[in-house]
This record gives sequence, structure tokens and C-alpha cells, in this order.
Amino acid sequence: MDRSVIHLDFERIWPSVPYILEGVQVTLAYTGVSLALGFICGILLTLCKISHIQPLKWFAGIYTSIFRGTPLLLQLVLIYHATPQLTGYDISAWQAGILTFTLNSAAYLSEHMRAGINALDKGQMEAALSLGIPYPLIMKDIIVPQAIRNILPSLVNEAIDLLKESALISTIGGADILRRANIVASEKYLYFEPLLIAGALYYILVMILTSAAHLLEKKLKTS
Amino acid sequence: MIRLEKIHKSFGSHEVLKGISGEISQGEVLAIIGPSGSGKSTLLRTINLLETPTRGKVYIDRECINEGRINIGKIRTKLGMVFQQFNLFPHMTTLQNVIYAPMKVKNVSRETVETLGKSLLKKVGLADKANTYPSHLSGGQKQRAAIARALAMEPEAILFDEPTSALDPEMVKEVLSVMKDLAHTGITMVIVTHEMGFAREVADRVWFLDDGHLVEDSPSKDFFKSPKSKRAKEFLEKVL
Repeated sequence: MDRSVIHLDFERIWPSVPYILEGVQVTLAYTGVSLALGFICGILLTLCKISHIQPLKWFAGIYTSIFRGTPLLLQLVLIYHATPQLTGYDISAWQAGILTFTLNSAAYLSEHMRAGINALDKGQMEAALSLGIPYPLIMKDIIVPQAIRNILPSLVNEAIDLLKESALISTIGGADILRRANIVASEKYLYFEPLLIAGALYYILVMILTSAAHLLEKKLKTS
Repeated sequence: MIRLEKIHKSFGSHEVLKGISGEISQGEVLAIIGPSGSGKSTLLRTINLLETPTRGKVYIDRECINEGRINIGKIRTKLGMVFQQFNLFPHMTTLQNVIYAPMKVKNVSRETVETLGKSLLKKVGLADKANTYPSHLSGGQKQRAAIARALAMEPEAILFDEPTSALDPEMVKEVLSVMKDLAHTGITMVIVTHEMGFAREVADRVWFLDDGHLVEDSPSKDFFKSPKSKRAKEFLEKVL
């Protein structure tokens, strides 16, 4: 009889740990770039949603509904495989990943932002209007900064979701944490150890984000 | 400077203003009073088109502002407004609140507006609160800051929408005293208020509104001494 059921052999994958660690950069790059671009697209989408121009409202509504109503993995493989077929452009895994995550997070963020703007007292808008401030400036300097402060917690949640969902790019060949762990696993015929390391890395990253968010919230509360 | 012509305003099927006409001349201090729900605030808000009249015309300096192509932003810079709920921008300091609009809308240089802003804050007794955020101000201080913000645009008139109704009683006085000082500067003031003592003392003229109608338009001395209409008489008996 075996002395134990679980054999953990970290020694054998020890040389591959730096390789997996490099995936942190890749994962963070996907998350950071998509979040930043998604944030900008999200603002534009929100402006469409709260505008009085019907076609813009419809566009934003349908957009959001589609991106929230279908699996992210499907969106990813669709963009990755359909882009070359439709346009002849050979899209890289990196580009497809960024594009998908940007479009997807824009949909989610715009919903949070819309709620954040609706939660603002309408007196803010009225006070700004009564001072003769033009609409674009009201949005930029009065409404959006306050709305962002309102939605900061959901912004961090979106970042955390994005960080975890970024693991999906490993399915189209993006060399992120999960993909690298899988490569090491199949090289060494050891699955548990590299995946455990990958899981720990994701967890640590999420914890760092969470505590940074707490700090930020505290700071915003005092100012 | 402000002229209203047969103003009607409906919200859905509910008609709040039922044909109000009147004129407010330069430098005049007008108090709009009347029972709750009589349409006072709505009427005030039609003057700077925060509410668009369903029918009727609003004239500012002889220019009709709710018809045709009008740059309403530009008109609004002539009409400051002070709100019941202050509506200061919470993410800006008191001074930033005051100087933001002149800096961004009138493109006045930063040094000039800061000097102006500080002198206005001094005028309303908030010189030491320039760098304080609104959340750290009392209600009375907030309202005084809001008055300074309205003044910073150097408007021809200021519209006050129940400026003391959200204040604790002990803070009403400090706001009214700032408004009283203002009345002596010759700026046009239109004040929706429940402060009868203040209206009597400071206003030149009174509009008494009831159920969407302008029931009485009299010099304030006459109005408070002997109101012409029965409705106004009843109202004054109740509140005085």
C-alpha cells in the first residue's frame, strides 16, 4: 500500500517556476490594458445611454445586452477566429484578447457608470446648468468625477473579474499564468503542482487589488 | 429685466402654472410667496429655463429665451441661482466651487478669479473656509458659499429657491443677513421664500401665488399691511 495518496513533487518543477512567474506580467498587461481601454469605451457608452438621442440609446442598449448576454469565452474565440475569416487580417492572440476584454468590460462598466450617474442628486446638474456651464464640461468636471467616486467599488470588482477571466486567453494561446502552468504540466507530466502555483499567483494578485481598493476608498472618504 | 408672458406649465395632466404674467425690473427685490404647491418654485425655475414653460414666453433683457435658437448657457450666466439644497459640488473646495464657472465659462485667468473668489468668500464670511470641502461646512455656511458661487459669475439677477428652508433655525439668520447685504447692492433678486419677516423687510415687491395663479402683485409694504385679495389675507393670517 502506498504510504500516501497524494504525491507532491515541487522539486521537479522548481526550475520552471520563473517561467510561470513571467506569466504574471502577461496577465497583468491583459487586465490593465483592457480595463483602461474598457473604461474609456465605457464612458462613451454611458454618455450614449444617458443622451436624449434615441439611436445612440438603442445602440448602447443593444451593445450592452449582447455582451452581457453571451459567454465571454464565446466572444473571445469568435473574435479570434472570425476576424481573419471576415477581414483577412491575421489577428494575434494578444490583440484578440485585448479587443474582447475591452469590449466586454466596457459593457459592464457602462452599466455601473449609468447607475452611478443616476444616483447623483439632480441638483448637481441643475446647479451646473444654472451657472451656464456647457454640457460637455458639466459631464467632464462635475458629473463623471462624482459618478466614478460612487462606482469605485464596482470598478475594483470589475478589475478583479477581468484579472480572473483573463485566464481565458490561454485557450487561444496567450502566454499568461494559466497557459504557462499548463505547458509546464504537460512537459513534466505533473499537473497538480504547476496549477497550484498558478492558483496561488491569481489569489495573491486579487488580494493585492482588494487591499489597494480598501486603501483607496479610505482615502477618498477622508478627502 | 425679466418679463413673463402668460406662462403655463404642466407636468403630465397636472397644470402647475396657469397663465402667469409679470415684470421684474432691474435692481428690484421681489419675493414670491404663497402656500405649498402654489407653483412658486416652478415659476422661479422657468425664469432660467430649468423648467421649460408649456406655453408662454420668458424675456430676459427684452430677448425671448424660450423660442427659436437661443444660447441658453449664455443667458444663464446672467441669472445666478441659489437652491434650497445648496447643491455645492462636493468634490471641490469652497473656493473651487466659487471660481470654477467664471474660470471655465468666462475664461477669466486663474489669478483674477482667485482674487475675486477670495473677496466674495470674505463678503459672505467664509474667508477661512476657502480650502474646506462642502462636507465639512454647516448648512448655513454651505448656503453662503452657494451665494458666493452665484455671485462669482457677476450675474444681473439672482434667483433664490427657498434658500433657508433646509436650514436649522439658528442658521437662517446668517444666510438672510448675507442676502440683506446683497439687496443693498442693487442686484436684481427674485426670492421664493417662507420667511415673511424677511420678505416684508427686504423685498420691494411681493407676488402672491395661489393654485398656479398670480393672485396679487403689490409693493411689499402694502401687501403686508393690507392684502387686496381674500386668499392672501387668509394666508397671512395663518403664517404671521
